Amino acid sequence: MKFFVNRFVKNREVTVVIFLLILFSLVGLKNPAFVSPGNLMLTLKGSVMYIALAIGMAFVILTKEIDVSVGSILGMSAAVAATMLRNGSGLFSIIVVTLMVGIVSGLVNGIGVTKFKIPSIVMTLGTNGILRGLMFIYTGGKWVENLPDYFKQASQKSIFGNMNSFVFFTFIIMIIIHLYLTKARNGKYFAAVGDNLEGANLVGIKVNFMKILAFVLSGVFASIAGMVYVSQVGFVGNVAGNGAEMTAIASCVLGGVSLNGGVGSVLGATFGAIIMNSINTALVFLKVPAYWNNTISGLLLIVIVSSDALISRYLVNSAIKQRLSVKTESNGDGKKEEIGGEINEQI
Amino acid sequence: MSRFKKLLKWETALVFLLALQIVVFGLINPRFLRLNVLLYSVNDFVSISIISLFVTFVIITGGIDISVGSIIGLSSVVVGILWKMAGFNIFATIPVALLVGAISGAINGFLVAYVGVQAMVATLGTMLLYSGFSLVIMGISGSSAFEGISGMPLAFLNIANGNIFGIPNPFIIFAALIIISYILLHKTKYGRYVFLVGINKNAARYSGIDHKLVTLSTYILSGTSAALAGIILTSYLGSSRPDLGAELTLSIVTAVVLGGTLITGGSGGVIGTALASVIVGILRFGLQMAGISSQYISVGVGLLLIVAVAIKGLSLSNFPMVKKLFEKAIRN
Repeated sequence: MKFFVNRFVKNREVTVVIFLLILFSLVGLKNPAFVSPGNLMLTLKGSVMYIALAIGMAFVILTKEIDVSVGSILGMSAAVAATMLRNGSGLFSIIVVTLMVGIVSGLVNGIGVTKFKIPSIVMTLGTNGILRGLMFIYTGGKWVENLPDYFKQASQKSIFGNMNSFVFFTFIIMIIIHLYLTKARNGKYFAAVGDNLEGANLVGIKVNFMKILAFVLSGVFASIAGMVYVSQVGFVGNVAGNGAEMTAIASCVLGGVSLNGGVGSVLGATFGAIIMNSINTALVFLKVPAYWNNTISGLLLIVIVSSDALISRYLVNSAIKQRLSVKTESNGDGKKEEIGGEINEQI
Repeated sequence: MSRFKKLLKWETALVFLLALQIVVFGLINPRFLRLNVLLYSVNDFVSISIISLFVTFVIITGGIDISVGSIIGLSSVVVGILWKMAGFNIFATIPVALLVGAISGAINGFLVAYVGVQAMVATLGTMLLYSGFSLVIMGISGSSAFEGISGMPLAFLNIANGNIFGIPNPFIIFAALIIISYILLHKTKYGRYVFLVGINKNAARYSGIDHKLVTLSTYILSGTSAALAGIILTSYLGSSRPDLGAELTLSIVTAVVLGGTLITGGSGGVIGTALASVIVGILRFGLQMAGISSQYISVGVGLLLIVAVAIKGLSLSNFPMVKKLFEKAIRN
C-alpha cells in the first residue's frame, strides 16, 4: 500500500496520465467516436490555449506565488493582436508587440510582488482588473472582427499527416521547458525559490530576479495563448479570457504543481490542462447536457486535491511515526507514545 | 497596543480617502452631494459590503474564499426556482437560500479545515461546483439561464427597494451587519479565537481552542452572508439569475485588503472593511455618475487596490530604515 502511495505522490505526472487514460477509455467504451484519432486531435487542439496558460502558471506557482491576471493578459493580447491583424500589420511585428503586452504585464506583476512587497494574489488581482478595463478602453467595447484568413487558418494547418501544427509546437515547447526545468541548473532555481526562499537566497540565487522572471514568463505564455485564441476563435469579444486564470490554476493543481511551491512540473500542468479541457468534450460525447460542465469539473478538482491532501498527510504522518519509533527505540525511554501523539496532531 | 494604534491610523486614512472621494465626485457632478443620492448609492454596492464583512473573518484566519460569487448566484437561483417551480411562498424561500449558503460555506470550511486543502484551491473548486449547481438547477427546471426568473411579488422587491423612515432598507441591513460583525469579531471570545487561529494555529490548539471548528465557522459565516447578498441582489434587480455575483470577487477582496486586513491572516478588522467597501462602492458609483462606462471601472478598483497595498507595505517596511538613517544623521 505504502509503495503505491509513495509512487502516487512522487510521480504525479504518471498518475495524471493514468487518470487521463482511464477517462478516455471509460468515455470511449460508452461512445467509441470519442477515441477516434480525429476527435483526440480535436481535443488536443482545443487544449492548446489552456496548455500555454498552464505552462506559464506553473513557473509562478513553482516559486510559491500565484498569478490571477493571466485571463486579462490573454484578453488584452488577443485584442492587440486582432486589431493589428485587422489593420494589416506584418506577422512579425504582431508577434513582437503582442509578446510585449505579456512581458510588460509580467514585469509589473513581478516588480510589484518583489520590490513593493505586495502579496501576489492582491497584486495580480489588481492588474487583472486594470488590464480588463484597459482592454475595454482599447477596443472601445466592440468586438474585433474581420480578421485575415491566413491567421485563422494557421490553427487548422496539419503537419506530419494528421498532426495539428499548434499541438505539435506546443508539445515541442513543453518538452524543452520540461528539460530546462528538470535538467538545467537555472531551471531548478524556480523550484528552489519556492521550496525555501531563505535557503535559496543564502546559496546565492537571485530570488527576486527568479520571481520576476516567473511572472514575465507567465505573461509571455498568456500572450501566446491570446494569439492562439485569435487564431482559433477568429474574433475577439469583450470577455475573451475571462476566468481563464482559474482554469490555468486548476490545471496546475490537477497536474500536481503544489501551491506550497517547489513541487511540480510543466509536464503535469500540461496533462492537467488536457484533462480540464477534455471533460467538456467528454460530456458532449456522453450526451450530458452542457450545463453539467462546471459541476463536474469542480467536483473532479475537489476530489483530486482532497485525496492529494489526505494522501500526503498520511505519508508525512507515517514517516514521522517511523522516525520517532527508531529514535525512541534507540533512546530506550518510554516517551514514545507521548511524543508520537503530540506531533501526529500537529500535522 | 501598537497594532491597535496602527489599525486606527489606517482607518483614519480610509475616512480621509472617503471624504476626498465624495468631494471630488461632488465637484464633477454636484447632484452627487445630495443626501438622498448618497444614501441610495448604498443599494448599488451593499452586496459587496455585506460579503466583505464576513470574508474578513475568513482572511483573518489565513484563508480566502473566492467561491462567494458563485454562492450569490446559487442562492438567487434557489429563491427563484423554489418560488416559481415549487410553489413556495417567496418569503419562505429566504431561509432555504440562507441554509444553502451556510451549507456551501460549510463544505468550503470542511475542505480547508478538516481535509487540509489550501483555501485558494478548495474554494476555486467549489466556485466551479456552485456555479455549476446553479446552472444545473436552472437547466433541469427548464428555465433559461440567460433570461433568469422574474416577476416576483412587490413585497419581495421591497426588501431591497423599500425604505423605513426614508432610510433605504439595504442601508439598514448593512448597518446592522456592521454592528453584529463588529461585536462578533472584536468583542467576543469567538472573535479572539479567530485572530489567534490566524496568528498561530498551534498556539490556538495548545490553548484548547478547536481551531478546525473555528476555521469552519468562518467559512459558514461568509457563505451565509453571500446567500444573504444573493437574496438582496435578487430583490434589487427583481430577477433571479445564476451569474449574479460572478464579477464581484475582485471588489470583495479589494474591500477586505484595502480595509487593512492582512491577506496572510492574523490581523484586520471589520470597521476597516466596512469603510473600504464603501470607498470601493462610491468609486464605482461616482465614476458611473461622472459618465464613465461601468466596464472601465475595474481599472480604478484595481489601481486603488495596488496603490493602497503598496503604500501600506512601504510605510511598514521602509520606515525603520528611514528612521535608522535619521538617527544616524543626528548622531553624527
